[in-house]
Amino acid sequence: MTETVVRHNRIARNADRVGLGAMIVASVCLVALGTRWVSGPMVSVIVLVLILDLVGVLVLAARGGPEARRLLAPYGLLKPGMLWLALFFLAPVWSLIRISLSTKESRFSVNYDFNWAFENYSKAFSDFGAQFQRAFLYAAIATVLTIAIGYPLAYVIAFRGGKYKNILLGLVVIPFFTSYLIRTIAWSTILADRGIVVSAMNAVGLQTVLEWMHIMDNGKLLNTPAAVIGGLTYNFLPFMLLPIYVSLEKIDVNLVNAAGDLYSNASRAFRKIVVPLSIPGVFAGTLLTFIPAAGDFVNAQFLGNPNTTMIGNSIQDQFLKQNNYPVASAMSAVLMVSIATLVLLYTRIFGTEDLA
Amino acid sequence: MMRKRTKFGRIAINVVAGLGLLYLFAPIFFIIAFSFNKPNGNFNIAWQSFTFDNWLNPFAEKSLTSALWKSLEIAAISTLISTVLGSLIALALSRYAFKGSSSINLFLVLPLTTPEIVLGSSLATLFLGQNFIDFGMTTIIIAHIMFQVSFVALTVRARIRGFDWTLEQAAQDLGASPFRTFTKVTFPLILPGILAAGLLAFALSIDDFIITFFNSGSIQTFPLQIYGASRVRIPPQINVLASMILFLSVAILMTSTISGMRKSAEKQKNARKFNVLHRK
Amino acid sequence: MTTQNHKNTMTRRQFLARSGALGALGLSLPALLAACGGSDTASGEESLYFDNWPLYIDPTEDGLTGTVDRFMAETGVMMRYEEGYNDNNEYFAKIQPLLGAGKTIEPDIIAPTFWMAGRLINLGWTEKLPKDLIPNFSNIEDVYVNPTWDPTGEYSMPWQGGTAGIAYNIDVTGREINSVADLFDPEFKGKIGMLTEMRDTIGLICLGLGIDPSQITSFEDAAPAFEKLAQAKADGQIRAFTGNDYTDDLVSGNFAACVGWSGDVLQLGKDSPNVRFVIPEEGGTSWCDTMILPKGVANANAAAKFMNFCYDPVQAALITQYVQYLSPVKGVRDELAKLDPELAENTLLFPDDATNARLRSFATLSEDVEARFDEEFSAITGA
Repeated sequence: MTETVVRHNRIARNADRVGLGAMIVASVCLVALGTRWVSGPMVSVIVLVLILDLVGVLVLAARGGPEARRLLAPYGLLKPGMLWLALFFLAPVWSLIRISLSTKESRFSVNYDFNWAFENYSKAFSDFGAQFQRAFLYAAIATVLTIAIGYPLAYVIAFRGGKYKNILLGLVVIPFFTSYLIRTIAWSTILADRGIVVSAMNAVGLQTVLEWMHIMDNGKLLNTPAAVIGGLTYNFLPFMLLPIYVSLEKIDVNLVNAAGDLYSNASRAFRKIVVPLSIPGVFAGTLLTFIPAAGDFVNAQFLGNPNTTMIGNSIQDQFLKQNNYPVASAMSAVLMVSIATLVLLYTRIFGTEDLA
Repeated sequence: MMRKRTKFGRIAINVVAGLGLLYLFAPIFFIIAFSFNKPNGNFNIAWQSFTFDNWLNPFAEKSLTSALWKSLEIAAISTLISTVLGSLIALALSRYAFKGSSSINLFLVLPLTTPEIVLGSSLATLFLGQNFIDFGMTTIIIAHIMFQVSFVALTVRARIRGFDWTLEQAAQDLGASPFRTFTKVTFPLILPGILAAGLLAFALSIDDFIITFFNSGSIQTFPLQIYGASRVRIPPQINVLASMILFLSVAILMTSTISGMRKSAEKQKNARKFNVLHRK
Repeated sequence: MTTQNHKNTMTRRQFLARSGALGALGLSLPALLAACGGSDTASGEESLYFDNWPLYIDPTEDGLTGTVDRFMAETGVMMRYEEGYNDNNEYFAKIQPLLGAGKTIEPDIIAPTFWMAGRLINLGWTEKLPKDLIPNFSNIEDVYVNPTWDPTGEYSMPWQGGTAGIAYNIDVTGREINSVADLFDPEFKGKIGMLTEMRDTIGLICLGLGIDPSQITSFEDAAPAFEKLAQAKADGQIRAFTGNDYTDDLVSGNFAACVGWSGDVLQLGKDSPNVRFVIPEEGGTSWCDTMILPKGVANANAAAKFMNFCYDPVQAALITQYVQYLSPVKGVRDELAKLDPELAENTLLFPDDATNARLRSFATLSEDVEARFDEEFSAITGA
C-alpha cells in the first residue's frame, strides 16, 4: 500500500516529464499518421497509442493531486495547438522532403517512389540558380528599403504622434486592409507607360537619371526589376513598420530628452539611445519582411518581365504547370533550408531572443 | 548652429515620413478612384469616365460577392479556432516555467520562417495522398489555422509578458476558485492581447492568397477570385468591394481610437482626482 | 451568373420538399443520399453542373434571357453554371489528384482547350458522350469532325473556337502590322507581348519561320521557334507573357503589338479603334475550347441535353452574338444575320476561305514531347 503511494507520488512529482513525453509521443504519432509512415494494421496500433497517451495524461491529472496538475497544466494548454502544428505543419514538411527525394513513373501519375532521388536537387540548383539568386537579391533590397521607409515613419508616429499616435498608426495600416492582389494590380496601373508616374518623371526630366540608375528601362517603369522590388517593398512594409514601432514606443521619451541634454546633440542621442533600443524591432521586421518576400511570386508575375522571375514563380510553375512535384518539392526544401540558415546566421549576429 | 541642424533634421524626418505616407496611400487612391470608373471592355484599369453605377450595384458580380462571403466565413471560423489554440499556447509559455519551453518557442517561430509557398505546397502534398478530406472549405480552414496559430501565440505572448501573475495567487488566497480566478482575473487581463491577435489572424486569413491557392480545390475565395479575374476581366465591383472593406476598417479604427482616447482622458482625470485627494 | 443565387435557393427548397416526401414514404437513407447526389435515376428533376471559362456564355441581362435560363426553362434541368475554369494547367493540377486516383470531380461538363482535352482523353479521364441523346451533333462544322485531339470524335464537342494572330495598337506602332517578323522588330523593343498559351505563341512563331505547327511531332521540329523566342527574351524584346490581360496592356499602350486572340480584339475594337487584329501573312493558329464529361460523371444525360441545346443553330447564334468567338455549329451565320447582320459579315467571326487556308491548329503532342515543350517554354517565360 505505502509502496504504491510512494510510486504514485514519484510519478506525480515528475508529472512535467510525463506531460512533455506524452506531448512528444502524441506529436510523433500524428506525424507518422499524417505522412503515412505506417500502413495496414500498424495504423490501428498508432491510433491506439495516441488514445492511450491522451487518456493516460488525463488520468494522471485527475488522480495525481494539485501538484501534478500544476506541473501538467502548461502541457495541457500547449497540446491542442502543438498537435495541430505537428499534423498540419511538421507532417507536410516531412512529406515535402520525402517527395523531393522521390520519382514518378510518368508525368501525370499520382504515385511516388521514394528512392533517394537526389537528381531533383541537382536540377533545382542547376536550372533555377538564377531564380534563387533573384529571389534573395530582390528580397534583400526590398528589406533594406522597408527599413528606410518604415523606420522614419515609425519614429515620427512614436515620438511626434502625441495624442494622434493611434490614428496615425491606423492610417499607416489601413492600406493593407485592401486585398494584396488588388494593391499589386493597382501598382501596375500607376507604373504603366502612359501612367501618372512615368509622365511625371518625364515632365521633370528625371527619366534620364532613372535610366542611368537602371531604375527605368527604355522609358519603362512597369515590368522592370525596380517595379518588382517596389511591389515587394510596398506589400511587406507593415511587417517592418509595426515591429519597429512597437520597439520605439517602449522607449521612454524622457530618456531621449535627457540624453539630448546630456549629449547636447539630438543625432548623438538618437544614435546612442534610440537606435540600440529599436534593434529588436528592426530585427523582427527584417525576418518578417525578408522571408515572405523571398518566397513571393505575385509581384514578379504582375509587375515583372520574363527576366525578373523569382524562385516562387518557378515553384508554382513546377507544381501547377509541369506537374513535377518532386522537383517543385526539392526547390521548396532548398528555399526553406536556405532561409532557415540565413535566419540562424542573422540571429547569431544580431540575435535577440524573440521575434514578435 | 547646433539648434539649426536639429531643426533641419526634424523637418527632414517629417518630410520623409510624409513621403512614406504618400507612398502608402498611392495605390489606395487609385483603387478608390477606379471604383467610380466606367470601364471600356473587360479591364477596369484605364480611366474612362465617372459613374456612380458601380456603387449603386456593388453586388452585381454574383461570383465576386459569393467569394467575399466565403472568405469572411473562412476567416471567421479559422480565426476563432486559431485564437483559442494560440492563446492557450501563449498562456502556457508566459504563465509557467516548464521543461522544453525554449524548444517550443523555437518551434513556434518555424512556421513564420517558412515561406508561404512552401507551407501551401507541402500541405497540399499532405492532403493529396489521403482519402478523408477533399480539397475545399475544410482544407482551406485547416491551412489558415496552421499559419495563424503561431502569429496568435507570439502576439498574445508579447502582450501579456509583463502581466503580474501574483494577482492570481492573491485572488485564490482570497478564496476564489481557480475557475473564478480565471474568468474574473486572468481572462479580463489577457483579453486585449487576445483580441489584437484575433484581429491580426482575421486579417491574415482574409487576405491570404498563396497558401489558399494550393489548397482550395474548387472553392473560390475573394483573393482567388481576383487572381482569376486578373487574367480575364477586372470588373469595377472589385474596387467597390475593396473600398467598402477599407471604409469599414477605417470606421472601426476611428470609433475604437476615439473611444480609447476618451477612456484614457477619463483615466487621467480620475488619476488626477485621486492624486489631489491623496495629497489632501 | 445572375441566376446563381436564385438557383441555389430553388435547389435547397426542392431538396427539402423532396426529402420531406421521401421521409413520408419511409424511404431508406441510401435512397435519400442518391437523391441528393442528383443522379438521373431519381424521378422528376435532373441537375447539371457546367464549369466554364469566364465570360463565355450569354447571361440573363438587359431584358435578354441567357442560354442557361433558356435551357432550364425548356428542359426543366436544374443547371448550375460556374466560371471556375480560368487556366488549363491550374485546373488540371486541381483535378489531377482526384481523377488520377480514380475519384470523381463535381462538375458534369468542363471546358478544356483542345490540347488539354486531348491530354484528358489520352489519360482515360473522360467519358464517352451519349451521342444518341445529341442529335444536333450532326451540326458540327467539318473541321471539327474527328479532330486530332479526339480522333474518334467520341469524347469531346467544341464549345467555341477562335484564331490567334497579332494584335497591335496603331497609336504605338505607328504603322500597320502584317508579319510575324514585326514582333521581333527592334523598333518595338520591350513593347512586345506574348501569350502564356504555349501553342499560340510557339505556333505563330513557327509559322513565321515557315514551320507548319500542325505537323510537329518532336521538339526538334519546333526548336528554331524556341530559339527565336529565347533570343528575343534575352534581348529584352519581350515585355511580358500574359493571359487574356494582354488586352489591357494593348489599350494602355504598354504593348505595341502582341500575340492575341480574335474574339478579344473584336470586343475591344468597339471602344478602342486603335487596337487592331491581323492574321499575319505567314498564317495564324486556330484553337477551340471543348466540352467533355469527366470520368464518372454523375449527370451524363442532362449534360447531353445541354450539348444538344447549344448545337441548335438558333441557340448557338445567341451565344456567338455575346461571346463573339468562332462557333463550331453550322448554320450560325444565317441565324446571326437575323439578329445582327453587321456581325454576321465580320471576317474575324467568319473568316473567308483565303484566311481559313492560312490557319493551322497545333499538333497533338505525345506525353513526353508535350513535357519537353512545357519545360522549354517555361524556361523562356522565366519560371
